Amino acid sequence: MQTSPTQTSAVAHLARSPLAGVFIALAVIFTLSALISPYFLTPYNLSVIARGLAFVGLITIAQSMLMVLGELDLSLGVIGGLCGVISGILMVRLGFEPYSAMLLAILLGGCLGLLNGLLVTVLRLHSLVLTIGTAGIFGGANLVLTRGVAITGIPRDVHYLGRGDVLGVPVPFLIMLAALAFATFVMLKTPFGRYMYAIGNNQAGARMLGIKVDKIRLLVFGVAGAIAGLAGVLMVARLGTAQPSIGETWVLAPIAASVIGGVATTGGIGSPIGAIFGAGIIAIIENIIVLFGVSPYWQGIVSGAIVVLAISFDAISRRYLRRDA
Amino acid sequence: MKKFSMLLACAAAFALPVVASAQDAAGTTKKESYRFVVVPKVVHPWFDKVNEGAQAAAAAIKAQTGSSVEVVYSAPQSADVVQQNQIIDSALATQPDGLALDLLDPSGNRASLEEAQNQNVPLVIFDSIPPEGMAIPYIGSDFCEQAKIAARRLVEVLGGEGEVAIMQGVPTAPNHSIRAECHRQVFAEHKGIKVVAEGIDNDSIETAQQQAAAIMQANPNLKGWVASDAAGPIGIGQAIVEAGKQGKVTLVGLDNLPEMLDMIRDGVADSSSASQPELQGYWSVMLLWAQATGAKVPGYLDTGNAFLTKENVGG
Repeated sequence: MQTSPTQTSAVAHLARSPLAGVFIALAVIFTLSALISPYFLTPYNLSVIARGLAFVGLITIAQSMLMVLGELDLSLGVIGGLCGVISGILMVRLGFEPYSAMLLAILLGGCLGLLNGLLVTVLRLHSLVLTIGTAGIFGGANLVLTRGVAITGIPRDVHYLGRGDVLGVPVPFLIMLAALAFATFVMLKTPFGRYMYAIGNNQAGARMLGIKVDKIRLLVFGVAGAIAGLAGVLMVARLGTAQPSIGETWVLAPIAASVIGGVATTGGIGSPIGAIFGAGIIAIIENIIVLFGVSPYWQGIVSGAIVVLAISFDAISRRYLRRDA
Repeated sequence: MKKFSMLLACAAAFALPVVASAQDAAGTTKKESYRFVVVPKVVHPWFDKVNEGAQAAAAAIKAQTGSSVEVVYSAPQSADVVQQNQIIDSALATQPDGLALDLLDPSGNRASLEEAQNQNVPLVIFDSIPPEGMAIPYIGSDFCEQAKIAARRLVEVLGGEGEVAIMQGVPTAPNHSIRAECHRQVFAEHKGIKVVAEGIDNDSIETAQQQAAAIMQANPNLKGWVASDAAGPIGIGQAIVEAGKQGKVTLVGLDNLPEMLDMIRDGVADSSSASQPELQGYWSVMLLWAQATGAKVPGYLDTGNAFLTKENVGG
């Protein structure tokens, strides 16, 4: 069968895109889920997936930015939880205006991210190891402040940010998309973003080129912390309470999502869009496991197998598309 | 016209008893099949027993009515309210005939419960209480009373004197913290009893074992233990055996996991104050089914606590 030049060029363009494999894997999982489960494509179920994706998605965006730099921050989920709790304390116990409280909590997230960045850059510590420690400190602070008990009575004004929707699209998902657009623009369309990739590829080389490596790393840690704080306060708005357990499950999934989405743990490769595609795959897997009624004891095997299949499919389809192009 | 009005009046008179009987017919709606979803707090052996009870109820309904009943057991991999809400929301997308839930945090689960009510999905809550202001039938036992039964037994065995320790479960889990507090209340009533240490096991047998071992090292005069979760006493029992303190340190356990029963049989533990998860699962499904048939159900159903000793746990 002959292909037209336009078709060839489209395939070549797709093949050149580093997102091709993960996008096709996402599309295949989405299509199979829709074919197998009659409930999958209902507007309600799609909004459930989108809402769930929003929170982990925000952490995934933050983590993927750091991974492009060659860094990892294992405290992002805990920062989200602590910021959520702080926003609750400010609103309920100290009587702050709700939106100001949320903003302050997000700023705190930025400061905690900066603290991580400062320790990494000034003391030349490995970010992975350092943030295991700071995650313990931030998580401990959360327990000291709450004594393990959720802060209830979050004003209803802010619930909309977590529970509301615009034309059926959950508000947190829209906020996540805005954060994704911001991160993608900065990373792919600005000199700052190009410096990030340069640092991730070769930190010493980037220094020699005159790039202010530590300043950029510091700033990205800060922004990642603020995005984690945003995820935390949005979750408070979603739950209507500030739960001390917020963020506990936001540690490994964002890293896995980023890797599935083509972000290299060694730095310099990938983008937040790919990471969000990876997070989308995980979110759909979590959803269909419930839709299909998979036994909880089989869930690990099933979700793990799907992830392995998705990564394999990504690799195979990339090879196939390159050859075809 | 008069004749027509008379006919209409007669028809209305005849219709009245029919309407009245229809109103009385609560619980008579029948379906060929039902699908109920059970969402516990987390993957845990205690909840496996809840599931066993739920499946038994499904079999009983099928045997008695001929309707097929499927119980889908969907447990979060970690005790995280966010993950639990995600499972509840996804389960709602399958339009089940009912949802039985053990809430991790009533206030944190509220949004998902409101969504279920908006979709007219019958709900039952077990092992926990509904969020404030929400009328949802719930099933469970008195956590405080369960703990007090255990603490009083320990006081009795120790003759009202001695150093004791309390193992807390997950500090953020309301049922665990209630039990720990009720243990303290009982011990505070007895001047001869001194609480010398409290551990936190986070519902992990391994952590409980490590904590108990360390506490017994630090308190050589310790005479007795109580726990606030199902994993705690199993870890404590292991630590007692490893420290060679069997017969010197009394353990009054909690719940009825197989390891707990073995420890009572082997004399490692004196006894256990057990909630009855099988009954909670069984009656959760029964109440969901009753609601699905249009029957009214009680607002609260107490499945009680059982006190297990060597005499009644069987071989």
